[in-house]
Amino acid sequence: MNPSLAVIFLTLFSGAGFGLMAMVVVVNDFTIDGGLSPLRTAILVALALLLVTIGMVSSTAHLANPKNAWRAFTRWRTSWLAREGVFAVMFYPVAIAYLGWVFFTNTDQDDGALVLGNVAGLIGLATIFCQGMIYACLRTIRQWHTPLVPANFYALGLALGMTIVATSRVLADGPDLILVSAACALLVAAGVMKAIYYFWIGAPSGTTLQTATGFTGGRVKLLDQGHTFGTFLTHEFSNCISPVRARNFKIAVYALGFLAPVAILLAAAHVSLGLGVLLAPLLAFIGIGLERYLFFVEAQHVVNLYHGRMPGSLPQMHPALRGGTVSPAAVAGKSRLVPSYEKR
Amino acid sequence: MATAQHDHEHGTSEVKYSTCYMCACRCGIKVTIENNQVRFIQGNRNHPINKGVLCAKGSAGIMKQCSPARLRSPLMRKPGTERGAGEFVEISWDQALDMLTERLARIRATDPNKFAFFTGRDQMQALTRLFAEQFGTLNWSAHGGFCSVNMAAAGLYTLGYAFWEFGDPDWDRTKYFMLWGVAEDHNSNPMKIGIEKLKSRGGKFVGINPARTGYQAVADEWVPIRPGTDAILALSMIHVLLSRELFDWEFLIRYTNAPFLVVQTPGEKGDGLIYRDEAGNPLAWDLKKEAFVNGLDASCHPALFGEHKTADGRTVKTVMTLLAERYMDERFAPENAAKICGVPAATIERLALEMAHVAFKETIEIAVEWTDWAGRKHDKFIGRPVSMHAMRGVSAHSNGFQAARAIHFLQILLGTIDCPGGFRAKPPYPRPVPSPGKPARHSAPNTPLDSHPLGFPTAPEDLVIDDEGRPLRIDKAYSWEAPIANHGLMHMVITNAVNADPYPIDTLLFFMANMAWNSSMNTANIQDMLRAKGPDGEYKIPFLVVVDAFHSETVHFADLVLPDTTYLERYDAISLLDRPISEPDAVADSIRHPLLALDRNVRPWQEVMIEIGARLKLPVFTNADGTPKYKGYKDFITYYEREPGIGFLAGYRGADGSKSLRGEPNPQQWERYIENQGFFQYHLPKGIRYMRFGNKGYLEFAKEAGFLKAAEPIVIELYSEAIQRFRLAGLGLYDGPTPKERVDQERLATYFDPLPDYYEPLEQQRIDKEEYPFFAVNQRPMMMYHSWDSQNAWLRQIIAQNHLYMNRARGESLGFKDEDWVWVESHNGKIRVQLRLIEGCQEDTVWTWNAIGKQSGTWGLKPGGPEATEGFLMNHLISELLPEKPGERRLTNSDPVTGQAAWYDLRVKVTRAAPGEEGVWPTFANVPPLPNAAPKPDILRYNTRAKAR
Amino acid sequence: MRLGLVIDLDTCVGCHACATACKQWNTSSITAPLTDYDPYGKEPSGVWFNRIRHYEIGEYPNNKTINFPMSCMHCENAECVTVCPTGASYKRPEDGIVLVDQDKCMGCNYCSWACPYGARELDRESGTMKKCTLCVDRIYDETLAVEDRQPACVLACPAHARLFGDLDDPESTTSRAVRERGGYALMPELNYNPTNHYLPPRTRPAIPTSDLPRGSLARKVKEWVNRVVER
Repeated sequence: MNPSLAVIFLTLFSGAGFGLMAMVVVVNDFTIDGGLSPLRTAILVALALLLVTIGMVSSTAHLANPKNAWRAFTRWRTSWLAREGVFAVMFYPVAIAYLGWVFFTNTDQDDGALVLGNVAGLIGLATIFCQGMIYACLRTIRQWHTPLVPANFYALGLALGMTIVATSRVLADGPDLILVSAACALLVAAGVMKAIYYFWIGAPSGTTLQTATGFTGGRVKLLDQGHTFGTFLTHEFSNCISPVRARNFKIAVYALGFLAPVAILLAAAHVSLGLGVLLAPLLAFIGIGLERYLFFVEAQHVVNLYHGRMPGSLPQMHPALRGGTVSPAAVAGKSRLVPSYEKR
Repeated sequence: MATAQHDHEHGTSEVKYSTCYMCACRCGIKVTIENNQVRFIQGNRNHPINKGVLCAKGSAGIMKQCSPARLRSPLMRKPGTERGAGEFVEISWDQALDMLTERLARIRATDPNKFAFFTGRDQMQALTRLFAEQFGTLNWSAHGGFCSVNMAAAGLYTLGYAFWEFGDPDWDRTKYFMLWGVAEDHNSNPMKIGIEKLKSRGGKFVGINPARTGYQAVADEWVPIRPGTDAILALSMIHVLLSRELFDWEFLIRYTNAPFLVVQTPGEKGDGLIYRDEAGNPLAWDLKKEAFVNGLDASCHPALFGEHKTADGRTVKTVMTLLAERYMDERFAPENAAKICGVPAATIERLALEMAHVAFKETIEIAVEWTDWAGRKHDKFIGRPVSMHAMRGVSAHSNGFQAARAIHFLQILLGTIDCPGGFRAKPPYPRPVPSPGKPARHSAPNTPLDSHPLGFPTAPEDLVIDDEGRPLRIDKAYSWEAPIANHGLMHMVITNAVNADPYPIDTLLFFMANMAWNSSMNTANIQDMLRAKGPDGEYKIPFLVVVDAFHSETVHFADLVLPDTTYLERYDAISLLDRPISEPDAVADSIRHPLLALDRNVRPWQEVMIEIGARLKLPVFTNADGTPKYKGYKDFITYYEREPGIGFLAGYRGADGSKSLRGEPNPQQWERYIENQGFFQYHLPKGIRYMRFGNKGYLEFAKEAGFLKAAEPIVIELYSEAIQRFRLAGLGLYDGPTPKERVDQERLATYFDPLPDYYEPLEQQRIDKEEYPFFAVNQRPMMMYHSWDSQNAWLRQIIAQNHLYMNRARGESLGFKDEDWVWVESHNGKIRVQLRLIEGCQEDTVWTWNAIGKQSGTWGLKPGGPEATEGFLMNHLISELLPEKPGERRLTNSDPVTGQAAWYDLRVKVTRAAPGEEGVWPTFANVPPLPNAAPKPDILRYNTRAKAR
Repeated sequence: MRLGLVIDLDTCVGCHACATACKQWNTSSITAPLTDYDPYGKEPSGVWFNRIRHYEIGEYPNNKTINFPMSCMHCENAECVTVCPTGASYKRPEDGIVLVDQDKCMGCNYCSWACPYGARELDRESGTMKKCTLCVDRIYDETLAVEDRQPACVLACPAHARLFGDLDDPESTTSRAVRERGGYALMPELNYNPTNHYLPPRTRPAIPTSDLPRGSLARKVKEWVNRVVER
């Protein structure tokens, strides 16, 4: 699949934002490590809102016709994408109310704060689930069509959220083990979940060009795809990554996304790293951003079979196709032929 | 009732009917027009050719109409600039025609042959030919010489009709269809319709082709054959049929010259000619009378086999005896043929027997009364439902004439000629064998020719050579080098003109022919020739006029460019005098008429020709007082009569439009055609639809319609006496012109075989086959076949780059893999191209799609497009001349009989390019845009709605 | 009613007539125009509703070439409709045609992800998803002759390899063809239940040759045995 930055940012940042919201609420609900101060709660909720907003705004860059984006909530009965939109939109008033309540009452432990916080946290968790299901419901993309996808989205969103909470704790109040341990545990759990996912997508798929065309009697090979250059389909679906490159990326995902943050946080739990502790969430974001890139680029849409791409193989196509079709930027603002009466 | 989605954005639209011209198929089209733009082109359901369907080219006609490659005004090479520099100035039509008329008038008054007029894919040859005839130049032909003259000549010298316009499989009844050397065809939509009919009836379709391209995809059996070996395959199947006595005795005796006796006096004059009586009638041996009788006599009982002594002691044998003796020879046995053609012996035998089974065991009958040539009544037509079609793959070899004859022999032995289920003629065919009409020989100042520039020689006396034996035509057609060059040798014109061989010319006019690119062999050298100057600093071809609707590579080399219209903007007649659209059951012709208003300063070439004709005062186009006789093309078509009552259009003749085929001019004829959806059909009565070579009713009808001079039976010629006369000339045994040069004598003696035989293609005889192990051929993809301006906005999305295709297993054994860049080298040059390994390719063959490659900047494409940087032409590898031999003049790389360009005789070697060597080679300089070129949009949002989204 | 196409792989010659006819009708039709990008330049591309791919089955010399046109299958379980968040994509209950309302589409591409057949193409100029409409503006247009009320691809196909009809009606030409020729749907394992079906290439019984005479002319030529036939 096309690893569009807009969608990578959407899932990465909004996932982290919703995860952060949920973790703030959990820490306050159970007064873990004594709970968060109202100010820190407010700052972290504001940060969660910022992250969610970055995600949502970048997602509109992915729309070819954003003026109709407001319609995206109408099909919530059937569409996980619409549900995601509905929950994301519901999240804002509740999260802002929570933020306002905490800020103006200067407490995050009264009933109002607990109700608003828990509702916001649950809406955030529901949104993460919808985001996961957007991908997991697609039978056309084997690598996505699994409960592991929403599970991974949860694991990664919560781990990022807790990493931020732990970082804020260490940054403000110095070395501490409780929240850091929780963040490390979530990061390790997310790493394990991701490993299960990577193991799972390595298994061969049952659908081949033979079954896709119905010619199961012999070897089927693409002779010509019927167009010399790229099409929407090749642009959107033809991206892929070589196994070696994918392995290197995964090493980077684990090193940056899981190992480095765990190491930094554990170090910060014992010695003061100053602002250096910010490297933990920063590297986690980079690592999980790479994970998200892999999530798209390793996903192979079944339509690729019709273009002669076998699972696990590099495409044998026109060089122009490998980078997708002509980029929209390449033709933007150029001359157009319009029907003569349009010029009037 | 479901909801209709009404589209209210459309204003008023009109539907008009015309004829497509995206290729040579000439389908009927139904064109919806909105706002003077084409909304939709669909097939005309009532049209005899396409019956409602339309191909990709036809649907892409819209893009042709908005192509930025369309020429916009007359252009002149900028004074002071070099030819081929691409610098032009716009001029007016008056300036252009003044310039051209003045030049042509001077030529016509001195030596009309200095004007050479060659036309490409036009469908108005009857008019361009008439213009040349009236001008008085011998130097006219259309593109058949580099297209498929071998097919036409072989058919006309054997059956009296041939493949394509001249004949069609009986698609409604045939049960077995064998297709030779055809990826896509001129007759594209009818063939697709027909193959579907055959398959839905459960019939079998066999495709013989080195590549499993085009129609081969849906063939029930694909027979991969080595290119250029079709003759041995066909003759080996004949061997099988003969050895099991599987042939149609009655058919051979009644309708062919199989029982005629041939004189056998080797080494003497008259050897190999038909044994005739004093009146010239061919003689046969009558089994009842046991005597020689007139073989044309209806009541005789001729022996099919036999050898006799004549009164004067000469041995005579029947044609069939010679045929059997020839093809029963072991060298035609399947085991031996297999070694040459690569088709397994068992397959050869099985295919022959399958056809015999269908012809003789699945015979069909149509109960219709008919009368044969001798007046005998029959109550049914007997059909042998095996049919064939063959075209370019057989044709474009230097043994193609004989190969096509061999295929016709198979059809004749099976008795499948113009019978139900067989291979049927399309009126005005069949014609006598060979066709009447000899090529014009004499050209004189200010005088029209006394006959057509092209004709059908039957003896050396008919050649267009001077008393010394030198060619009189610039293309050397009808010379010893190509005696039966029925369509001329357009592919030799530039080379011969530049070499002043046989003489220099002054003005060369190309109409719709891309001779500076894919229509010439040896393209790069041809471009140099067009630029070549003599020691006097003058161009060797002093004046080059190019008439075209589009900015082709050839336009780039013109001194004068005359811009033509598109097919949606002008009147055209698709005439019975030319290349008609008849079907086996109906005589038909059709028209085009302007559907769209012109938006640029262009004129239809027909109109311009008629104007130039009048300016030059050519008799046909001029009144006695010197004024123009016709107001223009439309007027000309209405009133011109070739003979009383016969004009370009056969329908709606007579003052009131009530006469068909023959009748006085009808002033409202065009309007009647337009009312009748642009075509005319005369349905033949059922009793004259078959066996027309010997069907009295048909022969009389054809005489009345002007198709035949006399209602006499047409005898199918298995044995070609005409060909034998040329052989005798080569052997020095002919009372008449004989060639003086040894090479001509040898060629005539070897290749003018009155019975078809296989010989290795000429170029291959001179090539080291170890050095060049692969056969190399090219084909056209269906969505571009025979299409002018095929690289339009839609079709080029489908294919804008061609690859060299090679058999996968063979390629892998040589260490190649997909997408490798390779050098392909022939005796003539080398090219660098990208390779693809496929299953559907014979092991010893490489092939590619032709004419995808374009010169950068032409055809309305932006510089450096894929057609220029990744598409390629195989033409660079092909020489228009045979490899040189010491002591011999250079010979054309063409069939020695017909002059057909031998495109597919090519042998090549393929080697991997060095690392880093990528991209096609050679590449050509970018052609600068024309001064008034249309913009090439980056985004195209073509639509005819009132409001675009 | 379930309208759709049946594609005959036995006769499809791969000529791209259907694709081009579709392009010309629909570039001026209800989702007009179908934009072309860089049409005269280095990488020409554009929006098409119907694309023909070409495959080779088996190995030389027992290989077969298959031409494979693909357009919207108008699935019974049209996931492209299910996933659409805006309601732009919809399946008409009365005839099963799947359409995209150009006024509602926000161009998120999600429907194209849900489609296994590559039937949807985004028009970058309009920002909307476009797809085969089964020529819904032709097939019910009573101003057209009855025989013209068919999708443009079906009208054009020279090999009559495309049938249009109601797959719910067991007696329609399409249903009969599917029944008689072993028509199949693509990727049934995904459970989209496509309306369009494909007819596999026919297999033909061998032509018997054992019933032919074994006579040998080789002997007869020498023996000059002739049959008496009146010319």
